[in-house]
Amino acid sequence: MKPNRLTVFARGVTYVTLCLMAALTLTPLLWLLAAAFKGQNELFHYVFFPPPGLLTVVNFQELWEAMPFGRYMLNSVFVASTTVVVQLFFGSLAGFALAKYEFKGKRLFMVLMLATLMIPGQVTMAPLYELIYRLGLMDSFPGLIVPQAVSVFGIFLFRQYLLQVPDELMHAARIDGCSEFRIYWDIMMPISRPMVGAFCLTSFMATWNSFLWPQIILHHSGRFTLPVALNQLVGQYQQEYGTLMAGTLLSILPVLILFLLLQREFVEGLTAGAVKG
Amino acid sequence: MTTRPNSSSSTHSLHSSRGYHLQQKMAPYLFISPFLLLFAVFGVWPIVKSLVLSMYATSGPKDSVFVGTQNYRYLLADADFHTAVKNTVVFAFWSVVLQLPLALGLAMLLSRRWVRGRNLFRLAVFSPYLVGQVFVGVLFSVLFIPQYGLLNQGLHATVGLPLDTKWLADPALVMPALVLTALWLYTGLHMIYLLAALQAVERELYEAAQVDGANATQQFWAVTVPAIRPTLIYVLIMSTIGSFQLFELPYIMLNNTPGPNNSGLTIVMYLYQTGFVTGDLGYASAVGWTLALGVLLISLVQLRLTGAWKAREA
Amino acid sequence: MRSFRFPFGAAAGCILALAVLAGAWLAQHPIERQKSTLTLWTFAPTHYEAYKEAVPSFEKANPGVKVDLQLVSGPAVTSRLQAAFWSDLDVPDLVEVPIDFAGTFFRGRLENVGFADLTERIEQAGLMQRMVSSRFSPYMSRGRIFGLPHDVHPVMMAYRRDIFEKEGIDADSIKTWDDFIRVGRKLTVPGKRYMLELFDTRDAHLASCLFQRGGGYFTPEGECILDNEISVQTMLWYVPLVAGKDKISNNLGAGQVLTKAVEDGYFVCLLAPDWRTKTFETTIPRVAGKMALMPLPAVEPDGRRTSTWGGTMLGITKSSPDQDLAWKFALHLYLDQQELGERFRGTNIMPALRSAWDQPAFHEPRPYWNQQPIGAMFAKLAPQVPFQYTSPFITTAKAKLGEALVACVQYYNASGDKGFEAFTRARLKKSADELRTLIRRNPY
Repeated sequence: MKPNRLTVFARGVTYVTLCLMAALTLTPLLWLLAAAFKGQNELFHYVFFPPPGLLTVVNFQELWEAMPFGRYMLNSVFVASTTVVVQLFFGSLAGFALAKYEFKGKRLFMVLMLATLMIPGQVTMAPLYELIYRLGLMDSFPGLIVPQAVSVFGIFLFRQYLLQVPDELMHAARIDGCSEFRIYWDIMMPISRPMVGAFCLTSFMATWNSFLWPQIILHHSGRFTLPVALNQLVGQYQQEYGTLMAGTLLSILPVLILFLLLQREFVEGLTAGAVKG
Repeated sequence: MTTRPNSSSSTHSLHSSRGYHLQQKMAPYLFISPFLLLFAVFGVWPIVKSLVLSMYATSGPKDSVFVGTQNYRYLLADADFHTAVKNTVVFAFWSVVLQLPLALGLAMLLSRRWVRGRNLFRLAVFSPYLVGQVFVGVLFSVLFIPQYGLLNQGLHATVGLPLDTKWLADPALVMPALVLTALWLYTGLHMIYLLAALQAVERELYEAAQVDGANATQQFWAVTVPAIRPTLIYVLIMSTIGSFQLFELPYIMLNNTPGPNNSGLTIVMYLYQTGFVTGDLGYASAVGWTLALGVLLISLVQLRLTGAWKAREA
Repeated sequence: MRSFRFPFGAAAGCILALAVLAGAWLAQHPIERQKSTLTLWTFAPTHYEAYKEAVPSFEKANPGVKVDLQLVSGPAVTSRLQAAFWSDLDVPDLVEVPIDFAGTFFRGRLENVGFADLTERIEQAGLMQRMVSSRFSPYMSRGRIFGLPHDVHPVMMAYRRDIFEKEGIDADSIKTWDDFIRVGRKLTVPGKRYMLELFDTRDAHLASCLFQRGGGYFTPEGECILDNEISVQTMLWYVPLVAGKDKISNNLGAGQVLTKAVEDGYFVCLLAPDWRTKTFETTIPRVAGKMALMPLPAVEPDGRRTSTWGGTMLGITKSSPDQDLAWKFALHLYLDQQELGERFRGTNIMPALRSAWDQPAFHEPRPYWNQQPIGAMFAKLAPQVPFQYTSPFITTAKAKLGEALVACVQYYNASGDKGFEAFTRARLKKSADELRTLIRRNPY
C-alpha cells in the first residue's frame, strides 16, 4: 500500500511534533549536563556548552570538597535498595496470599489497606515521628527503612498480577509435593518477573527521591541521603550553581542506569496493573 | 525477622493429608503476618493516633495541651491554610488539565503503528520522571532564574518575554512555574500508561468503526475512549492525588520557603511547617486529616463523574 | 530438595547485591562518633572556617577537651535543632541560630525551652556593657536571655565607585534617602540598570528600613506592631522604590545571578551589612577596587546612618552535660580579641564585643573596597544599630510583612498613588490582625 499525499503530510506532522516534544523535554537535561561541566564564570556566559577547551570538572571537585558526596551516594544506595528488597519480599508474599488463598479477615484486611491507600502519607507523619522517637530509631537508617517496609501499593500490584495466574498451576505443584512457600518462591515469583522489575524500579525511585521523611528523621550529616544533602547546597544568599548541577547530575545517574536496564519490564509491569485493573 | 514459614517442609506433605491441609490453611496467615505486623504498627496505628493528636496543641512531642476541636475550628479561620488550600487546588487543577490531554495526545501519536523510533521518543518524553521531584526542583530553580536563566533566555528570544521576568519571585508567576515544571515532570509518566492502554486496544474495533463510516473524531469517542477508560480514570485519580500532595517541588524551587506572598505554599508544606518547624504536631495532624478528607472527596467525585463507581470492582 | 534459586530475577538480584555491598561499605566506614566533649553546630560556612582556627587554642588550654564543629546548612539548622530538642537526641552543646529563627525556639513554657537561660552568666560577666546592647534583644523571651550575640551587622551602602565617577556623582553628597533617590532617578535605566537592589517580595530589606526608623515586628513584650504608624510610613515610602514606573530598584536573585548583575552594572548600589561585604569579595571578585562603601542614607538629615540585617546567636542547650565548659568555649569564641581580629579578616563580620574593634585588623585598608578601612567604618556605625525584638512568632511575622509588601507592590503597580495610602494601612492591619489571632491561639 502506497501512502498518499495526505498521509505523508500527516506523518510529517506527527514526526515534527514528536521531535519537538522530545527536544523540549530533553533541553533542560542537556542544560544540566552542560552546566555541570562549565566553570563558574562560564555558567551564564554560554547558554549550553562552552568551547571544548573550557569544559571542566572543577564543579565535581568542589562538590567533593563541600561534602562527602561519595558517602551520601552510598547512603542513598543502601537505603533505597534495602527498602526495595524488603518491600518486594513482604509485598509479593502478602500479595500472593491475597490473590491465591481464601482466609478469614481477608476482606477486612483488603478494605483496611484500600482505606490507608486513600489517606495521604503525610497524615501519619506526626505520630510516626513520635513512634520512631519512642522506638529509638531517630537518626538511623532503620528509622527510614522500617516505616517504609510495607508498600500497600506493591501488595495490590502483585495481587492484581497473580490473580491472572491459573489456579491449576498451584494444584499441580501441590501434587508434586511443593510446600506453599515453594509455590510462592519457585513458581509465582518467576512468573511475576515483569511485575518485579516494574515494582523494583518504582519503589527504588520513590525511596531514592524521598525527601521529607529523611529530612525530618536524619540529624547527623554523615547519614544524609542525596536529596537531603543536595538541599544543603541550596543556600539563601550564596549559591554555587555549578556544584549544585554537578551534584544533581550524579544523583540522577543511578536511577537512569537502573531504568535503562529495566525499561522493558518496567513498562510492561507498571501498565499491566492499570490497564487490566 | 524471620518470614519463612517453618511448617513448609515439603517432604511430608504428600504423606500426611492432615498436615498438608493445615499447612495450606495456615500458609496465607503466615505469608501475610510480617506484612500485617508492620502494617498495623506503621500504617494503621499512626492513623488512629493522628486523629487523637489532632485534638492537641503541642510544642514538640513532649509538650502538649488538650484543645479539643479547636485545631479544626482554627483551620477554618486560618488565612495561611486557606492560601495553601487554594494554591494546592489551583495546582492540581491545572496539572491535571494540562498533563492528561498532552499525555493522551502524545500517546496517540506514538501508538501509530508506523512510527519509527517509538522507544526512543518514549524514553525521551518519559526521562524527566526519572529525575525525581527534588532534583527537578533544584534544576528548575536555576532554569527559572531571571535575566540569565535558560527559560527566560529562550522565551526572550522566541516570544520577547522580558528578560527579568521573575518566575520564582513574582507571586503571580510562581504557580505557573510550578505547573510548568510538573508538566515537564509528569506528562511522560501518564503517557506511558496511556500508550500501553492504546496499544492494547484491539485493531478490529477500529476496523469495525471504519466499516460503519466513523471518522477520526467519532472513532476517538466511540472506540478509543471507552477502551482506555480504566487507564484514563486511574491516571486521572493518581495524578490528582499526587498533585494534592505537592511538597518537594515548591519547597526546593523556592529555597525552602513558601515563596513570595505564600504563593508556593501547599497543604503539605503547611503541614510540614506547622508540625516540624513550629512544632505543633497536633495542628499538623488536623491539617493532614483535612487534606485526607479533601482527597477522598475529590476522588469519589471523580469516580462518580467518570461513571467508574460500579464498573470498578477490584 | 531442589537447589536454591533466587526467584525475583536479575534486576532484584542486582538491587540486593547493591544493598549488601553498600551496607558492607557503610559498616566498614562507620560515622566517626568523635569522642568529643563539646559539639557546636553552626550554619555559616564562614563561621565554621573561623572557628576551626579557634579550636586548637581552646583544646590546649583545657586538656582533655575535644571540640566537634559541625556545619549544618542554613535552612536546615533550625528544623534539625528543633528535631534534636524534641527527641533529646544528638543535641549539640552549643549552637548558632540565625536571628530570624531564634524566636521560634522560645515557644512553649519557659522550662521547656531547649536553650539554657544565660541571663545570670551574662550579667556576671558584665557582657551587657561590654557588648553592643541592642544585640541581646532579639534573643530574649519573657525577660530572659537565651543567646550570646555573635555580631553587630550594621548596614552600609555598597556602590560601584566607577559608575558613580563616570556619571559625576559624589558619594559624600548623598546624606539622606531623598538625595539617594534623586541620584537613583538619574542613574536608573529601566530594564538595563537600577540604582539599588531591593527585594520586592521578601521582607528582609523592608525590615532593615523599618529598623532604621525605629520600627520593627514586635514590641519588647512581644506584641505585634506591623500596622503602627512607622510601619505604614515605611511601606508608603518603600513601595514606590521597587514598584511603579518610577522605581529605582529591582532584584534578580542570589549567587551567580547577582555576580553577573553586579559585574554588568545592572545594580549600582547594594545594601551591605558587614557579612555581605565578604560575600561580595568572594563571589564578585571581578569588580575588586571598583566597589566602595558609604554610610546608609539617613531618613532625615542627621538621622541614623545605618540599620541592621541578619545576625546570629550562640546558645547553650539545656541538655549539655557541662554547661560551664560550654560557656567557657562560648566566651573563648566570642571574646578572644586577638582571634576576633583575625576572624574579621576572614569574615568581615563585626563582633558584638566593642573592645575588639580596636584590633589592627579593623583598621586595615581593603583593596576590594578601594582601600577603605571598612572595619573602622562599620565600627563607627555599630553603636547606632537599632534594637529589634523577637517573639516565638517571628517567622510568621516576617511572612506576614512579606505578604503585605507583595500586596502593596501589586496595588501600586496597578493603580499608582491613587488610594495607595488607604490600601497600605488596611493591608498592614490585615497582616497584623492575622498574626495577633495566631498569637492569641497560643496556649502557653
